[in-house]
Amino acid sequence: MAGATAPAAFPYPSGDQRLSSWLDYTINGLIVGNVYALVAVGLALIFGVSRLINFAQGSIYLVGAYIGWVAVVQLHTPLPLTIIVVAAAAALVGLIIERFGLRPLQNSVRIAPLLATIGISFVLDQLVMLTFSPNPRALPSQLPDVRFQLGGGTIGPLDLLIAGVGITSALLLFVFLRYSKLGWAVRAASQDRDAAMQMGVDVNRVNQAVFGIAAALGGVSGMLVGMYYNQIDTAMSLQATLKGVVAEVVGGAGNVPGAVIGSLLLGLVESYGVAVFGTSYRNLFAFLLLVVVLVLRPNGLFASARQAPPEPLTGTFIAPSRPVRIPRWALAVAAAGFAVLPFFPVSFYVLQTLINAWLLGMLALSLTLVAGTVGQVSLGHAALLAIGAYTSALLSLTLAVPVGLAVIGGGLMSAALGTLLISPSFRLRGHYVSIATLAIGEIVSLVILNWESVTRGPIGISGIPPLSLFGHDLISPSSVYWFSLAVMVVLALLQGRLLTSHLGRSFRAIRDDDIAARAYGLSLNRYKSLAFIFGGFAAGVSGGIAAHLYSYINHETFNTQQSILALTVVILGGLGNVVGAILGSVALVGLPEVFRIAAEYRILIYGIVLLLLVRFRPQGLLGTI
Amino acid sequence: MSNIDRRTLVKGSLAAMMAGAAFSRAAFAQAAEPILLGVSGPLTGPNAQYGTQWKQGFDLALDEITAAGGINGRKLAYQFEDSQSDPRQSVAIAQKFVSDPRIVLELGDFSSPASMAASPIYQRGGLVQFGFTNSHPDFTKGGDFMWSTSVSQADEQPLLAAYAVKRLGLKKLAVLHLNTDWGRTSRDYFVKAAKEYGAEVAVTEGYIAEERDFRSTLVRVRDANPDGLILISYYSDGALIARQARQVGLKQMICAASSVYSPKFLELGGEAVEDVHLGTRYFPEDPRPEVKKFIAGFKAKYGGQEPDAFNAYAYDAMNMAAAVVKIGGTDRRAIRDAFAKVKDVSSVIFGRATFDVESRRVKGAMNAELVVRKGQFALWDGKPT
Repeated sequence: MAGATAPAAFPYPSGDQRLSSWLDYTINGLIVGNVYALVAVGLALIFGVSRLINFAQGSIYLVGAYIGWVAVVQLHTPLPLTIIVVAAAAALVGLIIERFGLRPLQNSVRIAPLLATIGISFVLDQLVMLTFSPNPRALPSQLPDVRFQLGGGTIGPLDLLIAGVGITSALLLFVFLRYSKLGWAVRAASQDRDAAMQMGVDVNRVNQAVFGIAAALGGVSGMLVGMYYNQIDTAMSLQATLKGVVAEVVGGAGNVPGAVIGSLLLGLVESYGVAVFGTSYRNLFAFLLLVVVLVLRPNGLFASARQAPPEPLTGTFIAPSRPVRIPRWALAVAAAGFAVLPFFPVSFYVLQTLINAWLLGMLALSLTLVAGTVGQVSLGHAALLAIGAYTSALLSLTLAVPVGLAVIGGGLMSAALGTLLISPSFRLRGHYVSIATLAIGEIVSLVILNWESVTRGPIGISGIPPLSLFGHDLISPSSVYWFSLAVMVVLALLQGRLLTSHLGRSFRAIRDDDIAARAYGLSLNRYKSLAFIFGGFAAGVSGGIAAHLYSYINHETFNTQQSILALTVVILGGLGNVVGAILGSVALVGLPEVFRIAAEYRILIYGIVLLLLVRFRPQGLLGTI
Repeated sequence: MSNIDRRTLVKGSLAAMMAGAAFSRAAFAQAAEPILLGVSGPLTGPNAQYGTQWKQGFDLALDEITAAGGINGRKLAYQFEDSQSDPRQSVAIAQKFVSDPRIVLELGDFSSPASMAASPIYQRGGLVQFGFTNSHPDFTKGGDFMWSTSVSQADEQPLLAAYAVKRLGLKKLAVLHLNTDWGRTSRDYFVKAAKEYGAEVAVTEGYIAEERDFRSTLVRVRDANPDGLILISYYSDGALIARQARQVGLKQMICAASSVYSPKFLELGGEAVEDVHLGTRYFPEDPRPEVKKFIAGFKAKYGGQEPDAFNAYAYDAMNMAAAVVKIGGTDRRAIRDAFAKVKDVSSVIFGRATFDVESRRVKGAMNAELVVRKGQFALWDGKPT
């Protein structure tokens, strides 16, 4: 039982129940917001200095939790010592990430460090999983088990400690940034790195300090949250990052006290969302809050008006590079080679893997257009797959539309709905587009989960008919292979044609300097919509084909990992590069399959290969166009 | 079907000829080679823990099968391919297994999207997909090569409802369920059965698998004024809910589905899971010989660790696979037919497992009514808590 102070189950007369429930929802929202704040503060600090969303922050949080477990369960350290051990170890991890993962990328494309943090998080999560096994573990709290009555529920000393750590660290950081010399250096470096260097600021030392502090904080928060729930497992990292990013951006990216307030607000909105609509709507409200804040106040709720714009005005986010020119005849030969592949004695397994690559290729074509050519780096692209897949599946199942037409219908729906959903983020720039699209992707997935009358909710759609064309079922692996290859090649040719037309030049003009583009009379929204319509169609078709291939889909089929994978493909291939997107797809579908012999180690190896590629070819294999 | 494809035919017959030649050559070496099963399941990614538990169950069963002389003198072995429970990878694995003549039978995958995406490939390729954790009602409708020993929720949930309503006397229930295909299906069967037994279901709340904070959900539960909480959860989320229920001051009886049956539930839940009731398929002091053998063998092999529900599913599945291969040999079609022939296979979950040929599932799971007492699972003695 929770403790002697726990109240009787229903201490309220029914008249007061409503009011006291709202008090409880408020308290619970603040309690969980408190938990989010720990991650958000670390993210805000790093963003404040290096303008980088550190996707590895959740992994440091994970590492902290497991080091805490070793300290508490194996070494039996007392709490203060545990905190010091965890902070020191996590800080060390942070320093290593900064020195070997990010510093070498200082002078490369702005997007390279983002991808590097994703790669680092793969590697760290896998290392923890391999060391400690994926089974969840209990991380017992070392604080006395007393409970204090608050509203209808109770809180414990850990709630207070978490709040204390969150608020104190935010305050300390605020004071540090405002009043200490190193803090000034940090702020100077964040405002203008080159100017700071000219003034004699050792920018590397600043970065080191920031990463060390943020990592120490991340590690301690992972440990405290693990104790709070008495549970740690390797899946906690991505969730922590997602919620932390939302909270941080709501509060104003890079604003440390804002991150705390953003976290509390996020907690409250989730709690009230549960109160009004029920538990399964909870995250829907979190991500809606984010989109609303981004649309109304793109710099976050607590950004001051005179603050410098957090993103560069011109296209340093995606630096142009010299693309590798591949002669047309070579491409034609490659396409022909892949087309005749099924005539050779290759196994169906190879064909199926390539089918997956072609499907991912269509998604990557879509993303490389909007992210690479137009500069709208989307992290929610799996939503377009899902829209296409559900549309096509439902059209063919409920309205008996022929599958070929249904797939096209999926593409059209994805183009229309996707563009509509994404349009609020057209006024955003750089990282903010990524965060808004991440949120929109989550919203689509949660709507699919909850809109049961149409999507059948978690049960999903089964019995989707197989692909067919003009009344002929495409069932054999080779026919599906040819079909998906042909669709992808057609889309790629169309996109290549688009890029060489005046439209393509306008797209790149918007990406490289949107002010100049506007001054030249280009309507940004119209061109961005156009790119999303084309891209949405390609992604929707890919999703539609996948639905008929799998015969069963539910809300988990097209998840955030798919969006991240697609972005990885695009960056790996070279932003905006059509051939690069296809090459990247083959590589990223193929590599994990090739590493199958390594069993549990394959994702670790994949992460390391990814990191090496970012390190040595940050502009992508074939370069940005 | 209008997919008559001459090239496929030609290739197919060529492959058959080549395979025939290979087989006759291999016939001498065959006796030494193990009979190979393919396993598609998560070893990395968010569901990795379940794949590791499968392995433990498989390995224990294989040890026993080998000790008993194998399958007609040949060893049984499995090839585990990591799918991360991702449909994109499970379909590739399916093609890999289908085109590998050594694989005689496939086990898995874990999640419904991954398993059911691969079903058409197994069905067309004529390789049995034996999904032993696939409770999705449509899984075995994928074709006559889909078989499952997953306890049908249509069977399990009425048992849990009977425990909660008839035996524990709960009248007004709050149901918290994982919002997945499994949780949703289970909830629907539970609610139906509970209403039939005369209880009222005051509120149902579905939560996503990654959820950790349930305090606000529990306020909703409190306001619905139930006299019992029903958890349709896995052990990690079940433990979280139980802890937080006690923290927000809910003292109602908690009754949970068998999927929380794991030593981890006790470890993660601590004091909060004391007095939690759960229906399970077996329990530590179970007098049935197959359960005694399973628990003793598991503890001996894994350093005293208690087996949990997923270990037991995997253990049973491997024993079932062995029984089927014993009858069907190494021909894939004969193996499919053998599923309809196996009778009374010794099973931890079912006691004696025999497939219902219509639904291609096993009916009649064992039932034990447990309660957590002093940090241990114990058979419920009928005393109120």
